[in-house]
Amino acid sequence: MGIPYFPGCTLSTNAKNYDRSARAVAKTLGLELEELPEWQCCGATFPLMLDDSMALIAPTRILYQAQQAGERVTTLCSICFNVLRRSQALLERDEEMLDRINWFTEQDYEGNVYVAHFLELLRDDLGWEEGPAPLAKHVKRPLTGLKAAPYYGCLLLRPYDEIGLDDPENPRILHDLLRALGAEPVDFPYNVECCGSYLMVKDPEVPETLSQEIVTSAGEHGADVVVTVCPLCQFNLDYPQRESAGTRTGSRIPVVYFTQLMAVALGLPEETWGFEDHYVDPKRLFAE
Amino acid sequence: MALGNKALAVRTDLSFGDIIRERSGEDVHSCYYCQKCTAGCPTAFVMDYKPAQLLRMIQLGQRERVLSSTTIWMCIGCEACGTRCPNQIRLAPVMDVLRQMALDEDYAPETAVYSLHRSFLDSIRMWGRMHEVTMLAQFKTLELLKEYPVFFKGLLGDMKLGADLLLNGKLSFIPDRIKGVDEIRALYEEAAATSSREKESEVSG
Repeated sequence: MGIPYFPGCTLSTNAKNYDRSARAVAKTLGLELEELPEWQCCGATFPLMLDDSMALIAPTRILYQAQQAGERVTTLCSICFNVLRRSQALLERDEEMLDRINWFTEQDYEGNVYVAHFLELLRDDLGWEEGPAPLAKHVKRPLTGLKAAPYYGCLLLRPYDEIGLDDPENPRILHDLLRALGAEPVDFPYNVECCGSYLMVKDPEVPETLSQEIVTSAGEHGADVVVTVCPLCQFNLDYPQRESAGTRTGSRIPVVYFTQLMAVALGLPEETWGFEDHYVDPKRLFAE
Repeated sequence: MALGNKALAVRTDLSFGDIIRERSGEDVHSCYYCQKCTAGCPTAFVMDYKPAQLLRMIQLGQRERVLSSTTIWMCIGCEACGTRCPNQIRLAPVMDVLRQMALDEDYAPETAVYSLHRSFLDSIRMWGRMHEVTMLAQFKTLELLKEYPVFFKGLLGDMKLGADLLLNGKLSFIPDRIKGVDEIRALYEEAAATSSREKESEVSG
């Protein structure tokens, strides 16, 4: 049986290449992803007001579906992950809230599903260089010489108290993954900065300004490629580079999902890479 | 003299900070203005008051100024401030409370952000999942009803974004509609009814 998987709206529309590459690498690594049936949107924001329970209904419905399928659920989008992980943490510590939501949705969520980011499955179920089935041992085409800048963004890591995936200011999980794939992780000062998020729709100059700083900085530190975990980060860093003004230096840098680099390194066929859906073409980095 | 009159015009409500502390769970009174939040805030450059300034205004009870600021609508909840605050104040929950208060009390909100949130939720009510094309269409229509010049300027930009995305195969015209969508609509309706019942009982009780 596969691992229950919540793709989220963006992975079924705007970021199909993230979904496709993740499913392909998961299968190769023996972590097959099994999509939850008839899932709906997670709501995309975790309710922060203490007296707001309405926004917990959507994530709880997903956790309930996951409960039918197993003990844990995995997801890829940073926003979905953030919402599900924090909702789970809240329902675990607040039994009254759990009862209230269950009463409202007429479901019986027990509050025990573990929400794991796909990166966590790789780290904990497989391991990087050592572990039960180290990722490094699956690598067929090491990304030797590729300087990759891991960009974590915000929602994968923060707030640390409720997420606890990695150090919120000095994270390593993507660095370790890239090293296992044979690439050289590049440190740069903007790796936990926010990309500007949904303001892309309303005030595009905000994410475009932030994107320019982030991508330029990665380039100045020698990166050939920026590696991301979140579809919104990917879009916000890639789209502004459709014109050369996207970076301050004028040199354009491809922005890819970590699963796409994995698909290359694991020697999977090119149709799983999904590099055709990019504004800055990453293909040239992997020409034979 | 003119300045003196202006200063007097700022009405204060000293219970304001306490209400926010209670609804957000964040101790806004413990801010000593080190400004780390402002220094690390990615959107501070488009805010009329910077995050630390807003906190000080909350402490001083400047309710109207706070609730009508653009700051509360430009915060995107990245949690950088809360991660770095020496007094463990997280501004994201504070901003959420302020946005809700601004809506409840009819302060002219940063309307476009609010329309965007509304369009997003309506898309889920309609399809069960978020669908970019119909969501953006509704968002732009809401904007049209509010402000013509801004709308046309924005529309041109979005048409370009939309056309780019469609050409790139990133958007589809046809939404996914999940089987359980009736259940989701029923939950929405029930939630709306429950929250208005709660509001009434708060008022009467």
